[in-house]
Amino acid sequence: MSAPAVVRLERIIGVVLRVGVTASSVGLALGLALLLVGAPASSLFLQIGIIVLLATPVARVVVSIVEYAVERDWTFTVLTLVVLAELAASLMAAMYGRKL
Amino acid sequence: MPIVTATLALIIFAAGVLAGSLGALLGIGGGIFLVPFLNIGLNLPLQAAAAISLTTVIATSSSVSAGRAGKQVINMRLGMVLEVATAAGSLLGGVTAQMLPQSALQMLFGVMSAIVAVIMLSRLGRRNVILDPTVEPGLLGGRFHEHESGGTVTYRVKRLPVALVASFLAGQVSSLLGVGGGVIKVPVLNAWCGIPMRAAAATSAFMIGVTATAGAVIYYGHGLLVPELAAAAVLGVQLGSWGGMHFGARASAKWLKVLMAGVLVVVSVLMFGRGIR
Repeated sequence: MSAPAVVRLERIIGVVLRVGVTASSVGLALGLALLLVGAPASSLFLQIGIIVLLATPVARVVVSIVEYAVERDWTFTVLTLVVLAELAASLMAAMYGRKL
Repeated sequence: MPIVTATLALIIFAAGVLAGSLGALLGIGGGIFLVPFLNIGLNLPLQAAAAISLTTVIATSSSVSAGRAGKQVINMRLGMVLEVATAAGSLLGGVTAQMLPQSALQMLFGVMSAIVAVIMLSRLGRRNVILDPTVEPGLLGGRFHEHESGGTVTYRVKRLPVALVASFLAGQVSSLLGVGGGVIKVPVLNAWCGIPMRAAAATSAFMIGVTATAGAVIYYGHGLLVPELAAAAVLGVQLGSWGGMHFGARASAKWLKVLMAGVLVVVSVLMFGRGIR
């Protein structure tokens, strides 16, 4: 991967993380504020906030896979794909575990 | 599961501010302080405490790394390689969390963090950096500008298998106890793998988002995550880590190591004490 591509990947990841963490914080803050005033919509905002929070690192991994593939850096494309597969496995474990 | 009240949410928010600032300062996430407080201080079940803590670890990782991205202090290539190991450990830890006796794991954690503290303190004088900027960092090494010395720090990664094993263990501990796992990774990367403290802490902080997500998803799916309390903790930690980041930029690496060793001793005593009870 070339030096400009590394800098670009860092910038894109920075944006993904910032947008994700800001969106989830807004959702969680709204949810908590609505909870304190007793509004029924609070749990919806809280759930959205949690889901966006959990999705942010996943989005960062997906973006990395795309960038490495565009740069034809196959070693790192495969490595990040393995990380994504592990995150998918944890989602499967979460769903399977619920049935126990 | 605990009953959610405004007072409880407020206490957790305040605890989050403190944990977040300390976590950002040390590059290990706030979990290491939050879990004992929620479990011992507020009497929350360990699993609920771990689940809340994991969400704050994700938030800390995302916000701290967003601020550092583009400054080259995060070694993203190394981070991505080690994430393969941490995510695997985290997945295994999340799945086995209900099968293994918790007391044995807490005692193991106590012993391990005590050992790491000793390693840290015995290697205070070592810098593990090559100050010659013309040195080739290799495939996984890195190069960044250090404010303290005013120079460019270049380093190569040594003993990658050791880093992978430490990352796998860190991932497991992360899911089982709800911490970021940086307490294991950072000292090992610094002491044995030739990575400067600043880069080790930044890379670890970057990785723990993915590590904690693999564990948090499992807790969330099992209904062990209380969204109201997680929200209070996440918002508190966000505020705290913002403050800690500003202060952390001026803290010296040596002071950071001493502080971190002290933290490890406290964590060791707390975890071991809980394990033998």
